[in-house]
Amino acid sequence: MNDVILVQRTVPGSKERDNIRKLAELKELAFAAGYNVLDSIVQQHHPDRRYHVGKGKAEEIAGHVAELYPSKVIFLNPLTITQIYNLSELCQCEVIDKFQLILEIFATRATTSRSKLQVELAKLEYELPRARKLVSLLKQEERPGFMGMGGYEDSYEQDLKKRISRIRKELKNTIRSSATRRESRHEQGFSLISLAGYTNAGKSTLFNTLVSENVESMDMLFTTLSPTTRSININGRRAMLTDTVGFIEDLPHFLVDAFRSTLEDVFLSDIILLVVDASDPIDVMRKKLAVSHDIFWKQLENAVIITVFNKVDLVSPADLEAKINALRYLCPNPVIVSAKESIALDKLKETIYSNLPEWKRFTISLPNSDKGMSVLSWLMEQGIVHSTDYGDTITLDVEASDSVVEKAKKFVQNLLED
Amino acid sequence: MLDTIIAVDISGRHYENDRYFMVSAAVALSYSEGNIRGIEGIHVIPFSSTKPPEITDVVHMIEESVEGIGIKGTVVAERGDMFNQPEDMVKQMFRVDFKYPESMAEKLGIEFAHHVSLSSRNLLMKQEVRES
Ligand SMILES: Nc1nc2c(ncn2[C@@H]2O[C@H](COP(=O)(O)OP(=O)(O)OP(=O)(O)O)[C@@H](O)[C@H]2O)c(=O)[nH]1
Repeated sequence: MNDVILVQRTVPGSKERDNIRKLAELKELAFAAGYNVLDSIVQQHHPDRRYHVGKGKAEEIAGHVAELYPSKVIFLNPLTITQIYNLSELCQCEVIDKFQLILEIFATRATTSRSKLQVELAKLEYELPRARKLVSLLKQEERPGFMGMGGYEDSYEQDLKKRISRIRKELKNTIRSSATRRESRHEQGFSLISLAGYTNAGKSTLFNTLVSENVESMDMLFTTLSPTTRSININGRRAMLTDTVGFIEDLPHFLVDAFRSTLEDVFLSDIILLVVDASDPIDVMRKKLAVSHDIFWKQLENAVIITVFNKVDLVSPADLEAKINALRYLCPNPVIVSAKESIALDKLKETIYSNLPEWKRFTISLPNSDKGMSVLSWLMEQGIVHSTDYGDTITLDVEASDSVVEKAKKFVQNLLED
Repeated sequence: MLDTIIAVDISGRHYENDRYFMVSAAVALSYSEGNIRGIEGIHVIPFSSTKPPEITDVVHMIEESVEGIGIKGTVVAERGDMFNQPEDMVKQMFRVDFKYPESMAEKLGIEFAHHVSLSSRNLLMKQEVRES
């Protein structure tokens, strides 16, 4: 159902290595959007006005479609509406380009109302310059229903403009809801950890490894939890771990805000795990790290960055040491791991643990009563109860955040005064 | 292990009152693992010229303010300050180690130097007005 075919048109004279990298990135993006790539087709060609690739190649693609039944054909290169129309007709299959694919990914990852609006806005901005052409094409060809259009609405372009300005207004009025969400998570005793980094660095693999080894079976408490957030336990401390959209090279302008909005959670985390593919050549690593710093610049509130060099199983120790040494200035708190082979994850957890927002260790005595017991169970949820000593009173050794400590002490005081 | 960068910024590269009155500020910062650990020194030098500065003049101003600090470290300045020339080419024009900012620590350093050079220039201009 989710099968796709990828198509790349390469520019004559362009670098082979870059082209291969770009196609690999498109594959990763398709994968991140939940697609299964059946085949990829590459043609070196100047852009064709009607089909983007040469007509013969377009027919070849149609042949593959007839044989493999993909649900979509995804072009790496940006397509005009005419090209999308002609290709869809020829292939009898939905055809999209890389930007539409990226928009699909953003849409699945947009969790806050703000980021949802940003993604919707980007979608409309993608459609707007194509609107007039689309309507005239549909009239000419008598094909209502194409690209989700009901009829040949002449007002289509106007509608888009109206919707764009409405969303812009709404965006102005919605505050960043993630800030309040962070507050409430903190109050529930959770710290926030985000995975960030380029596509293919191994974020999802690390996410899965960390989650499966440190399950905190409390996910059902959070009915609104997105599929990319899980609660985990780091040496007794509870945290929400969020996987995020991978950084994507050369984003067009209209996608930048939507992209940033999907990163709101990252900016507000307590800890950012910046995942780096240590098997990349050093100049590629340097460029990706520098772009990451650009993305974080002036956006972070309290976040500590931990640089996770992943895929160490693919790199020789000497090579790795040279890389880390040369890139030191871009790598706060470096940790070397293999997410896939579960190498050095304890070291990573140690580093995460020591950078979590500080909790205090304190002793508190509760009355040995129902009320006392309810405070005890509350403290067990909010913090870590290291030991309990039942006597006339219940004496606890507890570790928790400042605000929890305060609340607990006040509670006991009130009980005593009653 | 602590590393040192020297962030430099030049303000006043525009024509004003019949001259270019520029102030180059160098700020030495120590950092480790990408985080700034301390400010080790600051040095500020004013320059005046009737001609717009060329890239060699910029290199000269930067080097002079860096020498005044007396601390060794990699010099960092904005690409825009170096007429957007490629890093490799600019590196060769310096006697000291030079690079463009990449890390947040380096960007913060430049921001620091920028405020120092701006405020120093403002101060010097006010001083001039008073004395005249
Ligand atoms: N050899 C090796 N491969 C790894 C390791 N971690 C991840 N990979 C592989 O790297 C590829 C990308 O991993 P993902 O976890 O999907 O990367 P990602 O950063 O989540 O990428 P996006 O979801 O596209 O943003 C997969 O083929 C993984 O199997 C590792 O430690 N060693």
